[in-house]
Amino acid sequence: MNRNYLFLTLIMLVLAAGTLFLKKTPEYKQIKPETLLWDIIQPTRYVSTDQVAKMIIDKDPSLELVDVRDVNSFEKFALANAVNVPLDSLLSPVSQDYFGLPGIKVVFYSNDDIAADQAWVITRRMGYGGTYVMKGGLNQWIETIIQPKEPREDEPYTAFEQYQFRKGVQMYFTGTKVENTIAKKKKVVVRRKKKQVAASGGC
Amino acid sequence: MGPLIPNGIITGDWNFVIAILVGIAFGFILEASGFSSSRNIAGVFYGYNFVVLRVFFTAVIVAMVGLLYFDYFGWINLSQIFILPTFWPAMLLGGVIMGFGFLMGGFCPGTSFTAISIGKIDGLVFTVGLYLGIFIFSESFPLFKGFYNSGNLGHVTLTDVTGINAAWFAFAFVIIALAAFWVTMLIEKKVRKKITEYKF
Repeated sequence: MNRNYLFLTLIMLVLAAGTLFLKKTPEYKQIKPETLLWDIIQPTRYVSTDQVAKMIIDKDPSLELVDVRDVNSFEKFALANAVNVPLDSLLSPVSQDYFGLPGIKVVFYSNDDIAADQAWVITRRMGYGGTYVMKGGLNQWIETIIQPKEPREDEPYTAFEQYQFRKGVQMYFTGTKVENTIAKKKKVVVRRKKKQVAASGGC
Repeated sequence: MGPLIPNGIITGDWNFVIAILVGIAFGFILEASGFSSSRNIAGVFYGYNFVVLRVFFTAVIVAMVGLLYFDYFGWINLSQIFILPTFWPAMLLGGVIMGFGFLMGGFCPGTSFTAISIGKIDGLVFTVGLYLGIFIFSESFPLFKGFYNSGNLGHVTLTDVTGINAAWFAFAFVIIALAAFWVTMLIEKKVRKKITEYKF
């Protein structure tokens, strides 16, 4: 009997038995703290409600809206085509299928932007790119898109342009009709001189 | 670190380059193990030559145990490895057909090509039959498409189905393989009078 075969058998047996004692602690992939800090202090993660509204109207296929509020709030009101990933289930494998897809912009939103910001920090720390936060959340959405305020007369021209855009978006989302700003034309009443009737009668 | 392409360490363009290199290495090992001879391959069914069993079992247990250690050391992430979906009825029938083909032809698809590479006519005939089989299968595919796609269990592993840790399966498989090595060695010594014991 070849001694080498015996030796190899024993090595294989020991190595196989060794695998039973391998205890692997789950490690989350995460970025460096310095990189995360740098990303946090940058305002580039914020997108405005106007930008989100435009992307929804344009049916931008790269937009993935993620509502991080609880299920009840999501069922009461949510933005079009948004998916619900409550903050407490952000780390579940099903939720993570939404993140890290090439070419997809994930936009988190909540009532304000605190919970959305927290979701952004966690996903960014896990190394997912292409994630954004809707600035001001749904409160800002109501203020700017659903009930836009008319700018004062002394505000710059761009404010009026923005207002016009928001009124259009409001129409899209709420179905309200824009009031006709042009004054209704008064019906022109044509006055005609009465034809002088030829003198009749006489003496 | 690994797998290299999903983690972006190398680009997907390397797929074919790696496939060629692995293919060359695989072909070399098959030929060097004597798999280009149909006698060696068919011998395992008739009980006089177990080289196929030893080579394949060696490859399997080394890969199994090696991958578990690689995963532990963080060199490869097993959760990112592609797992073929399991279509159990088709795989069961496919296994039976493959077994009969193996026994009758004396080759499997890979080994028939190594046989051609050293100029064996039986390997060439087998390969012609292989392409004929592929053609018939492709043309008649609509007839058994339903069966082909039936019983899909998805990308499951034994650990997913049973809940038992992969290391236990690896350990059990190593025990079975090592026992098979020694038992077949004893059988061969009794059955074959002229046996060459390889020294290394």
